[in-house]
Amino acid sequence: MSVLEALRIALTQIWAHKLKSLFSLIGVVIGITFLIAVITVVEGMNRYVQEDFAGSLFGVNTFSVTRRPTIGTGTQSAEERIRLARNPYPDLEDVAAVRRAVPDARYLSWRDARRMREVWHGQRRRRNIRVIGGSEDYQDIQGWKIETGRGLTPLDQQRALKVAVIGPEIAEKLFPDGSAVGKLIRLQAYRYEVVGVFERKGGLLGNAWDAAVLMPYETYNQTLSRKRNRVLEISVKTNTESEMQAAMDGTEEALRIVRGLRPGEENNFHFQTSSGLLSAWETINNILLAAVPGLVSISLVVGGIVIMNIMLVSVTQRTREIGVRKAMGATQRDIMLQFLAESSIVSLLGAGLGIALGLGLGKLVERLSPLPASIPTWALATAIGLGLVVGLSSGIYPARRASRLDPIDALRYE
Amino acid sequence: MEGSPPTVIVTHGLSKEYDMGAEIVYALRGVDIQIRRNEFIAVMGPSGSGKSTLMNLIGCLDTPTAGEYILNGSPVQDLEDDELARIRNREIGFVFQTFNLLPRATALHNVELPLIYAGVKAAARREKAAVALDRVGLADRMEHQPNELSGGQRQRVAIARALVNEPSILLADEPTGNLDSATSADIMSLFVELHRGGQTIIMVTHEHDIAEFAERIITLVDGMVASSHARLTTAPFASTAPPVISE
Repeated sequence: MSVLEALRIALTQIWAHKLKSLFSLIGVVIGITFLIAVITVVEGMNRYVQEDFAGSLFGVNTFSVTRRPTIGTGTQSAEERIRLARNPYPDLEDVAAVRRAVPDARYLSWRDARRMREVWHGQRRRRNIRVIGGSEDYQDIQGWKIETGRGLTPLDQQRALKVAVIGPEIAEKLFPDGSAVGKLIRLQAYRYEVVGVFERKGGLLGNAWDAAVLMPYETYNQTLSRKRNRVLEISVKTNTESEMQAAMDGTEEALRIVRGLRPGEENNFHFQTSSGLLSAWETINNILLAAVPGLVSISLVVGGIVIMNIMLVSVTQRTREIGVRKAMGATQRDIMLQFLAESSIVSLLGAGLGIALGLGLGKLVERLSPLPASIPTWALATAIGLGLVVGLSSGIYPARRASRLDPIDALRYE
Repeated sequence: MEGSPPTVIVTHGLSKEYDMGAEIVYALRGVDIQIRRNEFIAVMGPSGSGKSTLMNLIGCLDTPTAGEYILNGSPVQDLEDDELARIRNREIGFVFQTFNLLPRATALHNVELPLIYAGVKAAARREKAAVALDRVGLADRMEHQPNELSGGQRQRVAIARALVNEPSILLADEPTGNLDSATSADIMSLFVELHRGGQTIIMVTHEHDIAEFAERIITLVDGMVASSHARLTTAPFASTAPPVISE
């Protein structure tokens, strides 16, 4: 008997006992659904981080200097965290040093920022906002787009004019009629003229920027700054990747000189690049993915046991049929094949259903969050492979039992 | 005997014992029989005489503990499971008292069963199965499942299944045991017809009037052949009273 014939017999059998077959594949469905759903979400986050998040924070060929890493991975030791906390903030002197070290940078920008409790326009206010003092180039390096009005100009910067570009959430709250441009907003005791409104960025972590006020660095420095000349981040974008490495080397040297570090002393500043950020994400990602196999294998083992049990019951119920088949000339191998085909098909059906449900869950997550649903082919192949392995391994014992039944006893079985 | 048909089955000292733990049960104690092609044999005997054991051995469902069994000229007593399965598939057609049809399969599919294990392709299988069903008079019941058929029809399906692979022997174990007397007579006339067509038939029965349809009756007692004689009459229908029970 061919494998094809075994599959046909098995399919007939499964179809004849639809409900029983459905119950027997539930365990596998749960396991595979979980596998696919988690991988879909993790891969979606991956893509999101690589394409949107990292790209929006840092473009290509861009690095920045900060006091310490903005995204902790939890992998630093306690001493390291203490050391990083002692690092001084960059300031305008550092900016000048970087400018000298990288004269041909495509962009050089810096910013300071703070959270503030509220921003006012007349009696209206928006709570919990972020105020950014950004240098020239800052809005370009961030890739922020203007919805209405204009962005900050070199003139605004040079003259430290009291102008601001506001995020869409603030604009909606303070100017529900959409007439933000030209109006005044108040932060603490200072008033600023709104010259433009940013486009909505949205996104998982972008929300904070939608409720931000951007003003020229010097304006910020003279009005709201907590510490004169302080800078949170200096960003440099070079024209090519090779220039970026050279620029980082030059910057490091210049900063060490201006900060008076002795040879052998560690840098008291931190370089951040998009690849560095991605490696931090990868660490998180790997932790997530490491948890999947354990959970999936538990549910698949349970699923396999369910199939095995139902198959064993089925072998007992069909003892007589097995006897008849043997009397008609079925060999042990034929019977074995028939039952293995049955358990494999049931398990593969479970895997198929699991894939469908998992993808469905992934789509749901895509709808409810900015994460794209992304399923790699290897995950589908793994799911199908696992289905087959569970089917074969859970079927092997019942199939052996069936194939070894004595035909005379089997025919007499009531 | 000159000009007589070749021998299909020869057994020498065929014995079977079962070790039941406390005691050893001797089911067969040296059975010597010869069956020629196109014979119609009835095996009789009281219960416990070894009829079923003999059927199982002849049907290659079991192997003897001692003795020889030569089927179509080759010894089969020492064959492995898979070789026995092949012989059951090619040489033996089983008909059981309880029909033993697959309940959820159509008549046609049931008849196809031995062909599946013979490796016949699907199209050829359907055709052969249809021919076999036609032979037993069920051409119009091919797509019916067993629960849609009468007892007699079910047994006919079973007979079609037994014949579909053109076996050397049709082996029937109490084929009328679950049928009323009218239907029994129908089945027996089918057997006689098949026999006339050249089919070798071995039938176990404990009913004398059923055994009367055979050419030769082998009687077993205590695991040994007590008698083996040809029936005197040659025309079974002429000698058999109508099986209808009168009031």
